[in-house]
Amino acid sequence: MKGTVLGDAGLHMAAQDNVVTAIDDLDAGTGIPYDDRTVELAEAIPFGHKVALVPLEPGDAVVKYGEMIGEAVEPIAPGEWVHTHNCESRRGRGDRTADREVA
Amino acid sequence: MATFDGYPRESGPAGVRNYVAVIPISVTASPVAEAVADRTAANVSATPHQMGTDPPEAAREQVERTLSGVACNPNVGAALVVSLGTETVDADAVANAAAAAGRDVETLSVRETGGTAAAVDEGTELARDLHAEITDRRREECDASELVFGVECGGSDATSGIAANPAVGAACDRLIRDGGTATFSETPEFIGAEHVLAERCVDEAVRERLLERVNHREATAELMDVDLRGAQPSPGNQEGGLTTIEEKSLGAISKGGTTPVRGIVDYAERLPVGGGLVLMDTPGYDIESVVGKVAGGAQVVAFTTGRGSTTGNPLAPVIKVTGNPKTADRLAANMDVDASGVIDGEPIDSVGERIYRTLLDVASGERTAAERRQLEEFAVNELQPNELAELRGDA
Amino acid sequence: MSAPSGAPRRRVPGTSFDAYRRSDGRVGVRNRVLVVPSVICSHLVAERIAAEHDHAVAAPHDHGCGQVGDDHERTERTLLNLARNPNIAGALVVGLGCEHLQSGPFADRIGERGVAVRETAIQDAGGTEPCVEEGVAATADLADAAADADRAGAGLADLTVGVVSSDLDGSTRAVADPLVGEAVDALVDAGARVIVAGTERLAPHTDAAADRATTADVADAICEVGKRHTGRPGNVRRIARHAADAPFDEVVGVWGSMNVDEFIPYGGRASADAGVTLVDSPARFEEAATTLAAAGASVVIHVTADGVPTGHPVVPVLKVTGDGTTADALADDMDLDARGADADALLSEIARVADGGRTASEEHGLTSFAVSRIGPSL
Repeated sequence: MKGTVLGDAGLHMAAQDNVVTAIDDLDAGTGIPYDDRTVELAEAIPFGHKVALVPLEPGDAVVKYGEMIGEAVEPIAPGEWVHTHNCESRRGRGDRTADREVA
Repeated sequence: MATFDGYPRESGPAGVRNYVAVIPISVTASPVAEAVADRTAANVSATPHQMGTDPPEAAREQVERTLSGVACNPNVGAALVVSLGTETVDADAVANAAAAAGRDVETLSVRETGGTAAAVDEGTELARDLHAEITDRRREECDASELVFGVECGGSDATSGIAANPAVGAACDRLIRDGGTATFSETPEFIGAEHVLAERCVDEAVRERLLERVNHREATAELMDVDLRGAQPSPGNQEGGLTTIEEKSLGAISKGGTTPVRGIVDYAERLPVGGGLVLMDTPGYDIESVVGKVAGGAQVVAFTTGRGSTTGNPLAPVIKVTGNPKTADRLAANMDVDASGVIDGEPIDSVGERIYRTLLDVASGERTAAERRQLEEFAVNELQPNELAELRGDA
Repeated sequence: MSAPSGAPRRRVPGTSFDAYRRSDGRVGVRNRVLVVPSVICSHLVAERIAAEHDHAVAAPHDHGCGQVGDDHERTERTLLNLARNPNIAGALVVGLGCEHLQSGPFADRIGERGVAVRETAIQDAGGTEPCVEEGVAATADLADAAADADRAGAGLADLTVGVVSSDLDGSTRAVADPLVGEAVDALVDAGARVIVAGTERLAPHTDAAADRATTADVADAICEVGKRHTGRPGNVRRIARHAADAPFDEVVGVWGSMNVDEFIPYGGRASADAGVTLVDSPARFEEAATTLAAAGASVVIHVTADGVPTGHPVVPVLKVTGDGTTADALADDMDLDARGADADALLSEIARVADGGRTASEEHGLTSFAVSRIGPSL
């Protein structure tokens, strides 16, 4: 498998990624070793979903596979779940184009 | 040297199946084609679809190209082309394409035959005759370089980009090393990953064409004035951990392997044989996308799925590969290859090798889960009014 | 408002029959269980389930995923209202599991509208065979309940009749459409509802069409549609060509002398109690028949010069042709040769079919089903 497994719990696909993918259903409080620290899960994370490794502010790039996969739209603390509620795509945003036309 | 046992054709590469394809020209002729296939033999297979009798020109051309391509797929030994008789999609053009490729062909018009019931009877006779013509063909050893391997992903989740797609990608690399062609498509699922693919294009012309096709797909989607989410990624993708189209795309492109991108062809356009990695510009919508590649000449398709898509194709075997251990267990009967070992540490190359073996076995006649269940979904991508407007530049 | 008013009521021969009165008051002429896939990926499973029951029909379609915005909403609206058709006694939704149109919540929305509904999905059931098994059992339950439906005396006034004229060829404009138009007048006079599909033909005649609206809202909607179709390719090129060359009255011959009382979007449900409803649909038969069924039609009249022979899973379809070659070549597939018939003959046919008599397409049993799209597959 490409990437590095962190603590049997998360898959870090590339060194510059600021999120890690759960490789099991993880309970809140599970620790993920990262960068000489332990990131503690703030909530339960289902298999395949992502956890923030570093603090993210709205507008910050979310990075997985060493590439930007979207931007944070809420402040996200390390150990929090990163998904559609706090991370959005920058691409194919016909809604934003439509808003601009109205404005 | 890798080989498979296939059906040599008069022209073009060998087939991995030996079907009589019953191809309707329009939605109107589709139920007749289905009834004919139902009444004949197991390897008489219909390709029913919903395209109209009189589509706008660009849409008409795409339908005709797709149906002609399907009729010429190496897995088709003979074809019966069925029309109502008033369609602007040209039944003779489709039949002629198959005849030019050396296939036995018959045509059937519901109007000329005197109605639905009579057409089903006559079609059944014609299909039986065609079947008799090709049924004594025997498999012979063929070089793997004759294979055009289509790769698709659907019902994706986070495991797709981690396990199943890179493993299928490794199988693509193997086939290309053996001289074959691998193709993947689903252009909306290049969005956010196109710069990675662009770096792998063999020249500037391919690179420009690729980026132009991605821009076009993104622009037509934006014309709907909404966020892609819901469609891309779908609810099942999201439940499986995929948050954005960029994330889905970055996982999706790994299913094509790591070799240079040698070209990009249009929907249902003929793919080269012995051509390395070639992309096709299709929607991400699975059934339409698989049909595009089969029309382009793919004899076998590998279809990765985290959530568990069960679909097949009437003319090309579809190998289902899942990287999700729960799906591998729960939908075991519908899956062909379990790639979930990657997550527990099985090397990607080892799973890729298993997939490559499966590809050669299936090409030699082993039936897939979808074939055993006769799951033979078929749909042609219909260009919609706003796409046509975008093509004309007046959107 | 140019249509004549106060025309004498036509006496309609032999027009009472037994039909199914549903809980919403509408009258169906068939008693079917609809097996509807939420996505193309489950359509073969839906077809296999339906094949196990005499009274079950499948509506296999190409959609339900990879669609955005209005395009997705139109698919959902259409399939939802299709399940509410008065010919349908209950519906089974068959999903895959990961699709955009999620089968569980979709089935709930159907149920909220008072339709007996069940749901199964391939990924939840654990594969193709378990899903077929679950679906067959659910369909049997729905079919058992349907068998108890009351069949009561009804007349033309109870019917909702859908009309689509799908080509505007010469024989259609000169012979078949005027005949159907006369029947439409008689139906509306008798108190029935008529729903007409086919709006791309209005582009060259927008003002004249808007003049036939009974309200300003309907007139505005017609103008809007005319504008949208102007210069845009429809999915039947012939219609645009003929519509541009023919006088307005010939283009809307199937409207009879009636005005348009209601305008609904593709896949929408008609709410008017009587009169003519225009539905924003292409005239292509398969797509038009689906939206007419979704609007509430229990019988559909299809005018076809080509002789498009296929039926529809939800509504019986009466095939009317004005083309002599077609009438001769496809005699078994056409219900009415308009050249030698009058409106009374068509009304009698409607009553016969409403009473359970089979149409030509029900005889051969081949149906086609399609939903119109307005956006790209993603």
